[in-house]
Amino acid sequence: MLWVDKYRPKTLDKVIVHEDVAQNLQKLVSAGDCPHLLFYGPSGSGKKTLIMALLRQIFGPSADKVKVENKIWKVDAGPRTIDVELTTLSSTNHVELSPSDAGFQDRYVVQEIIKEMAKNRPIDTKGKKGFKVLVLNEVDKLSREAQHSLRRTMEKYSASCRLILCSNSSSKVTEAVRSRCLNVRINAPMEEEIVNVLDFIAKKEGLQLPQGFAARIAEKSNRNLRRAVLTFETCRVQQYPFTNNQAIPPMDWEQYLSEIASDIMKEQSPKRLFEVRGKLYELLTNCIPPEIILKRLLFELLKKLDSELKHEVSHWAAYYEHRMRLGQKAIFHLEAFVAKFMSIYKSFLISTFG
Amino acid sequence: MKKAKRNAAIVISSSDDDEDFSLKSNFTHSKPKSQSKSASVPRKNPKRAKTALLSASCPRSSKEASGFDEMKRFCEEFKDNFTGIKVSAGLQSNNAMWVDKHKPHFLEELAVHKKKVEEVKIWFEERLHAAMDDHNNALLVAGPSGVGKTATLYAIASHLGATIWEWNTPTPTVWSEHLYNANSGLQYMSKLDEFEGFVERVRKYGLTSPTLKGSQASVILLVDDLPVVNGRVAYGKLQKCLKLLVQLVRIPTAIVITNYDKDDSADFSTRCWEELLVSLHNAGACKVNFNPVTINSIKKTLTNICRKEQREVSADTIELIAKSSGGDIRHAITSLQYLCLNPHRRPILPLKERPDNSICLDDAFSLPFGKDETLSIFHALGKFLHNKRENDLATASDRDAFILKEKFMRFPLKMDAPEVVLCQAHGQARTLSDFLHENVLDFLNEEAIDDAWLVASYLSDAEFLLSSLNGLLTRDFGAENIVQSAAASVAARGVLFGNAHPVPSRWHAIRRPKLWEVEQSLRRNKCQMLSLRGDLCNSLTLSNQIVMATEYRPALKWLGCRASESFQADDMVEDDSGSTCFHEKKLDMSDDEIEDW
Repeated sequence: MLWVDKYRPKTLDKVIVHEDVAQNLQKLVSAGDCPHLLFYGPSGSGKKTLIMALLRQIFGPSADKVKVENKIWKVDAGPRTIDVELTTLSSTNHVELSPSDAGFQDRYVVQEIIKEMAKNRPIDTKGKKGFKVLVLNEVDKLSREAQHSLRRTMEKYSASCRLILCSNSSSKVTEAVRSRCLNVRINAPMEEEIVNVLDFIAKKEGLQLPQGFAARIAEKSNRNLRRAVLTFETCRVQQYPFTNNQAIPPMDWEQYLSEIASDIMKEQSPKRLFEVRGKLYELLTNCIPPEIILKRLLFELLKKLDSELKHEVSHWAAYYEHRMRLGQKAIFHLEAFVAKFMSIYKSFLISTFG
Repeated sequence: MKKAKRNAAIVISSSDDDEDFSLKSNFTHSKPKSQSKSASVPRKNPKRAKTALLSASCPRSSKEASGFDEMKRFCEEFKDNFTGIKVSAGLQSNNAMWVDKHKPHFLEELAVHKKKVEEVKIWFEERLHAAMDDHNNALLVAGPSGVGKTATLYAIASHLGATIWEWNTPTPTVWSEHLYNANSGLQYMSKLDEFEGFVERVRKYGLTSPTLKGSQASVILLVDDLPVVNGRVAYGKLQKCLKLLVQLVRIPTAIVITNYDKDDSADFSTRCWEELLVSLHNAGACKVNFNPVTINSIKKTLTNICRKEQREVSADTIELIAKSSGGDIRHAITSLQYLCLNPHRRPILPLKERPDNSICLDDAFSLPFGKDETLSIFHALGKFLHNKRENDLATASDRDAFILKEKFMRFPLKMDAPEVVLCQAHGQARTLSDFLHENVLDFLNEEAIDDAWLVASYLSDAEFLLSSLNGLLTRDFGAENIVQSAAASVAARGVLFGNAHPVPSRWHAIRRPKLWEVEQSLRRNKCQMLSLRGDLCNSLTLSNQIVMATEYRPALKWLGCRASESFQADDMVEDDSGSTCFHEKKLDMSDDEIEDW
């Protein structure tokens, strides 16, 4: 088992990073009920960990007994029936799913599937817990229609069903949904907190972790706890005992992108653009989302760039990022950005060095 | 007032007659009036049209007048009208379609090349005389439309004194009709099903119709109208069925296959037909290819027709028609008839007398007839990518009313407007932009990165336009069409405009968009990853796909050996290939793909 999963805190009182939030949540559900919740915060800050711990707090150990199901749902949409395939993870008291996996059919998922699940109330022998919890991941990726139908569902079935929504950014969740939930903001952990977690893991694993090294991992992880732990485990495989200035292996796609960036800086020609396109295809094939590619590429380019160009390059990156969201085929826009950068950079080189 | 109405009616009649000559002439005659005076009367009921017409045209006629009188009066009036029409419309009293009227009845009249006719004739002679031997009895006749495939077969049959039996295509059932009939228990039969049934019957029982048996006339079976198939399954069914027919049929059989747009090979169905031809040929059928009719023989045929119809058509015009028909003789004859229809029409100026010499010969769009040629999508792509332009700016600045900045100036194009080319190529906007995107960089100047950006930005615009349609709840096909053609136009013009310093033309192979492969494998990888998701995260939560791709997978690759304890072996294989492919592919790329330049 990966350390990320192995040392994931199981209950709210064992949480290290967001202790205050955990305590509040504990108080919140002490009466056995809770409002709808919206957890939001950057990736790797511990949203899912808190949600799982919360579920255990409410339902006890039965929340651990989950099964993964890949089921095809038949949804009646007017004149025809639509098949929506969706993976769900469920225990007796909660169901977790990512509606955005269904792509543009997400509104059917929200309307029909959730409705159906919310309708059957769990029958508890003690008659205590009269509600079921639905955990919805990546709510910010839901389409607008889906979010609207989510709002109706929330009101209609509030007696039998609690929703826990999880998203990276609350700004993409509509106001209507936000106002119906208790919003819980989960900040990215501070670097010291990450170091604490790493220390905790090292102690449990019986490893010697030099402070300087832990700080470097924390810094590299960009305040992403999951990443820090994964990197830590990787370093353990690569070299042990640790030294303070041990190399931290970068993620392969990041390294690849930094190679692309240096390719771009070296030569600016249609031929090079074509090569870059091939490399971008390689990244896309490996499911790296285009937005992340663009962001990282900009980051790598900015590192090497003269400060007077930074503004313009960032502007164009933003422009094409927007385009990418509107369009479908990301490569067109990524390539346009690369071409624009090459064009800017070349004219800059010519004007400075002649 | 009435005069004006009549004139309108004449126009309608002449254009309508072009379309459906098969109607009875009587019916055709009643049409102009019924249309001009009481448009609401359904066309299918000429009698009712007449009575309605009558009451409309003579409102003051006395009520006592007998029906017969009315009818007679009407007939007279109608006759007057009709002669009027006849004169101005210029139709012969026997107003059949010239294509039907001058159908070749003898071998000598065929415009098809003599050797081809001879070949087919000999084949049939052999089969008809030496019947029942184990030769293959099927003949495939392939060729573009309107080159006389069916006409040749009929002429040969009548020459040999054989009767042609044709598979009668059943009337297609419209879906709504089927739904209507569904209650009465009628089963829906697709055309393909019926064709299969037909082939089955022919194989089992031959064509032994009881009435025909006594006459002992030789019979030729003609399959002209193959059912349209869509998709692999139906196509496989058709292929199997035809193969059986080819192998087992006992009487001489001709299967006519029309190659629609031979060069548009991007289309699935076209490839199907080619495949079908090859497979039937392998099954033992004899194959004859018909080429487009030569211009000279079209000219000869047209001149003959003119003589028979006693029309004066200048040789230049005939040549023009022949040239613009693209080897389609049926089309040429129809054009000729259309041209002779109205003598008041502005005479077609022969080419040399045209005031504007710059209009080139193949400018078929200014003619009132002629076949608009279709271009293959690759031809159109070639035009856009090669970006051939005139070399002097002088002509350009004369034509343009606007004064443009230097950097927006381009030499005039050596082709039709991009939209015209697009129309001819009838490609999907999506396909077009994908192809342009894949190939355009090859055609840019080595140094011109600014051009590359310009092109890329226009392609990005086009892509944006194309995806703006997605996610709409209701489809509006009109709007969709407009957006599609706008996007195609943006892509094509963007490529033409952006490529300001085109390389001197040399031979380039046009590549298939790699994007398609990438999309496919992306979809595959995504599914794989989602299915792995459960085991990967120890199945307590579902993790996000992005996190999987950007964090878990790379970490797992590094962890390598350790991970194999907790994950199945095949997952690891997949992961390994993923990790190596980044770097291997990189090397590959620098080797072969760039040498292609």
